[in-house]
Amino acid sequence: MKKLLFADDEESIRLLYKEEFEEQGYEVILAANGHEALEMFALHTPDLLVIDIKMPGMDGIELLQRVRERSRHVPVILCTAYGEYKQNLETWASDEYVVKSANLDGLMKKIERLLTK
Amino acid sequence: MPELRKDPIIDRWVIISTERSKRPSDLLVEKTRSRGGFCPLCPGNEDKTPNEVFAVRTGNTPPDTPGWKLRVVPNKFPALVTTGDLNKRTEGIYDRMNGFGTHEVIIETPDHNATATTMTVDDFKNIMIAWRQRILAYRHDSRFRYISIFKNYGEVAGATLEHPHSQLIALPVVPKRAVEEIDGAQVYHGHKGRCVFCDVIDQEITDTRRIAAENSRFLAFEPYASRFPFETCVIPKVHTASFEDADEAMIDALADIMSTILKKINSALGSPPYNCMLHSSPFNTDVGAFYHWHIEITPRLTRVAGFEWGTGFYINPTPPEQAAQYLREAPIG
Repeated sequence: MKKLLFADDEESIRLLYKEEFEEQGYEVILAANGHEALEMFALHTPDLLVIDIKMPGMDGIELLQRVRERSRHVPVILCTAYGEYKQNLETWASDEYVVKSANLDGLMKKIERLLTK
Repeated sequence: MPELRKDPIIDRWVIISTERSKRPSDLLVEKTRSRGGFCPLCPGNEDKTPNEVFAVRTGNTPPDTPGWKLRVVPNKFPALVTTGDLNKRTEGIYDRMNGFGTHEVIIETPDHNATATTMTVDDFKNIMIAWRQRILAYRHDSRFRYISIFKNYGEVAGATLEHPHSQLIALPVVPKRAVEEIDGAQVYHGHKGRCVFCDVIDQEITDTRRIAAENSRFLAFEPYASRFPFETCVIPKVHTASFEDADEAMIDALADIMSTILKKINSALGSPPYNCMLHSSPFNTDVGAFYHWHIEITPRLTRVAGFEWGTGFYINPTPPEQAAQYLREAPIG
């Protein structure tokens, strides 16, 4: 079973991810902030990460950097409510970029594509 | 007494604050911090960028592998799309069209920590060749009207990665700043039958006080009505409307003057954040008689606030004559 790690500070979003992706047959690991995500990353070695950019404390961009220091190949999808980070070249260390939406079809397709690469 | 000075091309007024004029050491230079960490633009990380569309390589190294001196790649997460048409339409009095355009990143050197001070004239030549090649690649696509090439150096200037890079955005419209310059140059040409930029060059060469650096083909000077301290204009001495028409000799001379002036700015001001913008003629327009391409370099040493946003006026605390003198005296090593 493929393991997905979701880092998002909004509890309702985390629960939505858990419900939707467990139903799709994934093992879902949740983290409420960047530090927790790094701990979970070390503990569970997920197959893919979905990271919210705007998180208090360590934001998604810094978390992405920390993840890349540990693994340059694990697929990472950055997620944000707005498109404002498109000018930020630090996001290139990720593999995909999605604008947050309650409809998870787009995110699901990107996850499937990255995991079968 | 402070002076109000008017830009002869776009009629923009600035306040030159001669009484409280600031020397380089008085200006707030926000240092560019090295954040370290994983860099998607560094050699070995080519898989983290889209496939290259242009590169200067050593030997026969294959595309998208190490062995490059410069790479150009499309933006990985573009704000504009290159497919489809413009579909221009209106919504009442408002105009809109599809978000069509391209966005490329020019990775200027494999050295993550390189700066204008450490880069060679050959490095600058590669950059100028890449800029020219990429403009030529879009020049005959009728969907594009204008190419903006710019470099942000330092966080304050908008750079999000310290790895040296510049950016290209091809647009389906001519931006307002370019229109202002073209219109101003056209009006001047209508009155006097001459290129306003050529007249500025002639006057600056005669006057000499605002010249910061010069070679046989280019002048680097501080504009008479500079908006910002150490604002610098690099311009070919011979009248040419389009940067991409520069031949090899011009590219060599441009690389030389860009290397010199940026080294001097770094040396005089302690590697300040800056923006560097190419101003060249739009595509498919007949502006050759009166427009004159140039490069604008604006060190980010002052903050733009309510007065500037509200009026279009700028307050410059360093007279361009003083700035030019500091730069003339600054070493390039």
